[in-house]
Order: sequence, then C-alpha cells, then structure tokens
Amino acid sequence: MATNEATVSRGLLGAPPLTEEDAARSADRSRVHQARARRRRWYLLWLLVGPGILAMLGENDGPSMIAYASDGAQYGLGFFVPFIPVLFAMSYVCQEMCMRIGAVTHRGYGELVLQRYGRVWGWFGAADLTLTNLVTLVAEFVAIRVGLAYFHLGAGVAVALGMSLVLFTLSGGRYWRWERIVLGLALFNLLFVVAAVMVKPGAGTLASSLSFTPLPGGSFNTLLLLLASTIGATVTPWMIFFQQSASADKGMTPADVAHGRYDTALGAVIAAACGIGALIAGAALLAHGGSGIQGFAGAGFPQALRHVDGSAAGAVFALGLIEAGAVAILTISASTAYAAGECVGASHSFNASPRNVDIFHAANVGVALIAALVILIPGAPLLSIALNANVLATVLLPVSLVLMLMLANDEHLMGRWVNKRSTNLVAIGVVAFVALCGAAYGVDSFLRTIHLVGA
Amino acid sequence: MISSRHAALAEEDRALEPIREQDLQTQERAEDELIMHLERDQFVAETSRPVPRAALSAYARAGLWALRLFVMLVGAMAIYTFVSQL
Repeated sequence: MATNEATVSRGLLGAPPLTEEDAARSADRSRVHQARARRRRWYLLWLLVGPGILAMLGENDGPSMIAYASDGAQYGLGFFVPFIPVLFAMSYVCQEMCMRIGAVTHRGYGELVLQRYGRVWGWFGAADLTLTNLVTLVAEFVAIRVGLAYFHLGAGVAVALGMSLVLFTLSGGRYWRWERIVLGLALFNLLFVVAAVMVKPGAGTLASSLSFTPLPGGSFNTLLLLLASTIGATVTPWMIFFQQSASADKGMTPADVAHGRYDTALGAVIAAACGIGALIAGAALLAHGGSGIQGFAGAGFPQALRHVDGSAAGAVFALGLIEAGAVAILTISASTAYAAGECVGASHSFNASPRNVDIFHAANVGVALIAALVILIPGAPLLSIALNANVLATVLLPVSLVLMLMLANDEHLMGRWVNKRSTNLVAIGVVAFVALCGAAYGVDSFLRTIHLVGA
Repeated sequence: MISSRHAALAEEDRALEPIREQDLQTQERAEDELIMHLERDQFVAETSRPVPRAALSAYARAGLWALRLFVMLVGAMAIYTFVSQL
C-alpha cells in the first residue's frame, strides 16, 4: 500500500510512521474525539454520518427512480408503498454489516476478501464489480441525459456535468471534503418527494396504498421479474464495496458503530421516502396511459408529468433524475476506485497524498470517463445497456453477500463485534432471499433471451 | 580567514540550537496529538500488513466451491443475455 508515502520522523522513534493519509484522518478523528468528550451529540452525529446515507441514496440512482416511477405508472401504489420500506430494511441489514466490518478492521471489502479467502475471489469480485459498475455508469449518464433533455440540453452537457463533478470532488485530496460535497448533492434526492407532493395524490389513494394488496397483475414470470428487479435496485454489490471501504477511509472505529447504524438507518429511511416519492409521481400517470412509459423508453416521464400536473412537476422530476444520476456516478466510481486500489495493493484513500494514489484516481476517473464516452457514441445501444445493467450484477450479488456474511462472522477479524446469533438469523434470511431473487432474475433473463419462457 | 568563517558558522549553529530543539519538540507534540486520535491498527503502516488467510472448515470450503460453480453457470448466462440484448 502507501508505504512509499512521505513519512514523518515518528517512524524512527518506534511508533508507526505517519503518512499524509494518517495525518488527514487524524485531523478528522480529533473533531470526533472532541465532540464525544464534550457530549455534543448532534455534532457527533453530523461528523459520523456519511457512508450509510451515500450508499443508500447512491442506490436511489437514475435507473432505480425511473423503475419506481414506472412501477407506479403501471401498477399504482397498492403493493409498492409497503414493499419499498421492507426492501430498504433488508438493505439496512446488509449495509450495517459492511459498516461494522469497515469500522472494526479499518480495511475495505475487496482487500479483506482477497487476503482472507484468496486471490480468485478477490480478483473475481473486483473484475466483476468494475464491469458491472461500468455498465451501471452508462445508465447513470443516460439518466442525466434524460433529465437534461427536459431542458433541451444534450448528451455533451450530460458528459461535461458528470465528469466535472468527478474531477471537482476528487480535487480536494480529503475524504471529508469528498463526502460532504456528495452528501450535499445527495439530499436533492428529496426532489422526488417534492414531485410527489406536487402531483397532489388524494388522501384516499394514499390510505389505500398502505396494504400489500393488490399484488401486481400478470404472469408468475412477470411478477418474479418485477420483484427481482426491484430488489436488485435496492441491494447491489457496489454498495457493499463502497460502504465498507468508505467507513474505513473515514476512520470509523468500533466506538462509532452505533452512529454508523444511525447513519445507515437514516440513509435507508430517506432513500425509502424518495423511492416512494418517485412511485407516487409515477402513479399520477396511471390513469393517463402511464403504463406505456416504461424503463428508459420512458425518457418521456418528465414530459408526461408536465402534461398531467403542470410544468413544475415535470421540471422537478427531471432535476431529480439529473441529481440521482450525478450522485450515483460519484459513489459508483468511488467504489470502483476502492476495489481497484485494494486488489492491486495500491494506496486507496481520498486522504492519501495525490502523488501516491495514481491507481485510485485513475480508476475513479477512468471508469466514469469510459461510461461518459459510450453515451457519446452515435448509435450505441444505450437503452439495452441501461436495461440490462442489473443482469450483470446478479452474478456478483450472491457472492458478495455470502462473503460479507463470512467476514461478519470471522472472529479473528471481528473479535467481539462478530454477528450475534439473532443478527445471523435475520442476516442469513435476508442474504438468502436477496441472493436467490438476484440469481432468479439472472436465470429468468437468460431463459427469456433464449425463448424458453415467454417475455 | 577560513577558520574565522567556521567559527562564525559554529556560533550561528549554537544560536539556532534552542530554536531547532523547540521546533522538534513542537513537531513531536503535534505528531503525538495525531497519534492520540488514531487507533494503532488505523495507521497506514498497520493496514498495509495483510491479514492471514482464513482457515476454513470442510463445509465452508465445499460451500465456496458450490459458489464457484454458481458463478460459472450464472456468469455464462448473464454474459450471454447481456451480449445478445445489445
């Protein structure tokens, strides 16, 4: 790792040599120590939130928000309003484990898998994550483009906006700065809640939505695909890599695990609220041919909303899509950079000295740049890429979840912070359910492709 | 001429000695404060050391082999699906 980084004199005196990364992290930790010593609870929470909210709101990305709106437009609210919070509760179970492992071991997910379970799993995880992230990033740029199209702006602006954000957030050379900028942007995910309020859903409609019925109609295959793809939009491999590495990079320790849980829970609540917001906004189109606007073919969502509920609702939804895509670009490219640095054994921190994080920065910018260039290729099959991004993730998702569960139960690494029996009961159930749904989605997509089951 | 210059430099060196000492102490104090805020296993020097390979039970090894088969099977399906949909 960063052993060649500039060190200061402590190394000669027997104490661990201090790097610029240590110094930056220590400065952040000093504020946490002071806040804890002075019992400034809200300030302490403010200092320690970040990775959980970013993982959850990063996953409320462009394709996910369009999927929620599409579900609302096709099926209404009845099933999905209670289903989305359940999904985010499952996501919380997985992400809490990542946060805890990161805080206790101070190491990223990729690096621990590589060292504990061998190079095959380590490299497979990093390679599949990079490929999946690349495809997902293309979908994020497409989402930004869809949002910008509402304001008559083209793909070039989407690329310039996305890449400027990546470069700007990286330029500070500090984790804290990167995190706060992305957090600030991520809060604009609440635009989907604003859009939901603007479409003025009736009280009766909202009240009737608080039940699991009616189940969405259609064949079993359609239902399975719908559930699996919605679940796939809530728990993804990049979130696992990201939150563990970001928790370690932030300098979290076992003493911060409780606040890490608040952070993750807060992220889950906000993300669920925003997801439901997109669903309600989409449901406003239910009686206006909304079922015809599906997936990215529904680049017309903002326009359709304008026709039904006025230009303000359409504009807010379009701005929400731009924000969702932008935040996902920042968090997903960061997860790629963490994975690349951890597997190669290079420095992998936003806090490290810029001259020692070539691979980290190259992976961060490179993966975003490649995705950006893809959307500029005339005639590129953007729609297919965006719609099938989740198919690639179905391979890695079960593997990531199983290895994460093994890490969380590894007494050598976790000591007294290993999963409790009750946590394991819930976690194994959630991991098995999510992994099975992911695998079922992958297999079902394959069977439909070779026409063994109907579309 | 040369010896008087050496003497002047030595004199200057002696005059700077307390300042250097003070600088060193200040630097060490700052570094001690930095160390105070980090746990020992948080230092880059510590996290750079690899953790040992896990000793897995026979069941866990069998489970991981099953996972490898799953990856090969579903991986092939996913790649086929993705490519054919382009």
